[in-house]
Amino acid sequence: MVTAIRLLLLFILLLLVACGGEFDQPVVSDRVQTQRYTWSLPEGFPLPSVPADNPMTPEKVELGRQLFFDSRLSGDGTVSCASCHAPERAFTDGQGRATGIHGSIHPRSAMSLTNVAYNATLGWDDPNLTQLEDQILVPLYNTDPPEMGLTGREEEVLARFRGDPRMKRHFLSAFPGDDEPVSIDNIIYALASYERTLISGNSAYDRWAYQGKTDGLDEDQRAGARLFFSKRLSCFRCHAGFNFSGPVRYEGSESPDAIFHNTGLYNEDGRGAYPEPNTGLHRHSGQPGDMGKFRAPTLRNIALTAPYMHDGSIPDLAAVIDHYGAGGRHRLQRPQSVTPMDGPLTDPLLTGFELTPEEKKQLIAFLHALTDETFIRESTRKEAPQASK
Amino acid sequence: MKTRISTIIACIVVILAFSSHAFGAGSGPVTTKEKQPSVTFYNDGVKLMKQGDFKGAQKKFERALKMNSKMAEAYNNLGYSLRKQGAEHNKEALGHYNRAIELKPDLAEAYMYRGVLHMLMGQEEKALEDHRTLTGLDRKLADALQAAIASGEEPDGLDGLATSW
Repeated sequence: MVTAIRLLLLFILLLLVACGGEFDQPVVSDRVQTQRYTWSLPEGFPLPSVPADNPMTPEKVELGRQLFFDSRLSGDGTVSCASCHAPERAFTDGQGRATGIHGSIHPRSAMSLTNVAYNATLGWDDPNLTQLEDQILVPLYNTDPPEMGLTGREEEVLARFRGDPRMKRHFLSAFPGDDEPVSIDNIIYALASYERTLISGNSAYDRWAYQGKTDGLDEDQRAGARLFFSKRLSCFRCHAGFNFSGPVRYEGSESPDAIFHNTGLYNEDGRGAYPEPNTGLHRHSGQPGDMGKFRAPTLRNIALTAPYMHDGSIPDLAAVIDHYGAGGRHRLQRPQSVTPMDGPLTDPLLTGFELTPEEKKQLIAFLHALTDETFIRESTRKEAPQASK
Repeated sequence: MKTRISTIIACIVVILAFSSHAFGAGSGPVTTKEKQPSVTFYNDGVKLMKQGDFKGAQKKFERALKMNSKMAEAYNNLGYSLRKQGAEHNKEALGHYNRAIELKPDLAEAYMYRGVLHMLMGQEEKALEDHRTLTGLDRKLADALQAAIASGEEPDGLDGLATSW
């Protein structure tokens, strides 16, 4: 009888351990998970959602970071991800339109990677691009125009990393279960893992809103926040929530709808046409009503990411405010003739507003209060790796 | 005999283990509150509140609370109905929100309503405290409260937060 009870207790113990373990473990794929990843999230920020086939590990993040700054990842070895997404510019490049290999000019501006883990969609205008693992394929393989020029040169690129003992060690450490860890798939997994860690939430505004520091904003910044969130300006209706952006996705969130806006930048033909090839959502859907619709990017670190808009056609924050104040560029250029023909597809939220010079200064001060110096400093401090001799 | 006892105990243990998981996973015991008169008054109050009849809603919530003094949602909506009748009711409304949160510390709508009231009363620090709590309970409401506190304006759609049982 005693033996039976002992066996029973052992069974209960095993059962509890087994069941408890099931709830404690994060989602893991069929890959060997080397080490659990501990997120370092700002106060009040939700847990980013991570695809089941690419769980976070510190080794993968480190490999991704190394690769991100390594120009050997491009076909001709001249550009890295950081060439267009430089940490000191909040992972943008300071240009109106991004430059790829051989000096090829991209039609659109390089988007900031600040808090990219939360974006419901990626890129300026593609509603179907929802995972970083898919988005990374675009700059790597795009041929029109070439960005990193990997197409047809995959083996050449892989050979560079296989021949570098230090990088080979990083691959082995990040993907210990793989027969051949240095692969394109693993490069993509690692880059996506690193990019998910680019989380910014320690700006002056965050210190005020989330960290209990009521003096986190100075007078102008606080007044600018009042304007930004006011019903009069309604900036927050498009740049919404904790990320000051379009729809976000995170662990436990509802599946967000992709939302795009026409901000009245162009009206080429009197019917709202945007110049090719930047027709926005329209170039994916073919729907006339989607002409000129683009995603509202995050405003976090926005003071560092000039010039603005999808084509970099607005040079600074003051000009962006003038643009929205007028209710669109065409109206800005012809303020006396505001008719539906001046921007028939412009988002109805762009009703325009008037600001005094003092208010404009305050609104700009608020936008500067979204700069996270710690994030920039930490991201920048990590130096680009050098190839081992 | 020993084998039979062991088998019976093992079965009981397995059943208990799975039962506790079912409770732990979620949906709580079935409530019989729908049958209580307090619920009827409460639901009538919600209806009036959504129609903008805050005085009428106040009376319904008070009657619901007379019958069931543990109804956190009724305290919360009573607070809101009072607050909407004028700033002279703010203090009383705050007391009801506090009671609602005391009874149900995870009632997100109560932090939303209280945060807005704190903001309207000029108590920004307390409003931000409610916002911080709300970030862990309901992200969308937290974002809406953040916008309200930052702008100093009452957000639209607060009447619609009340839900019937």
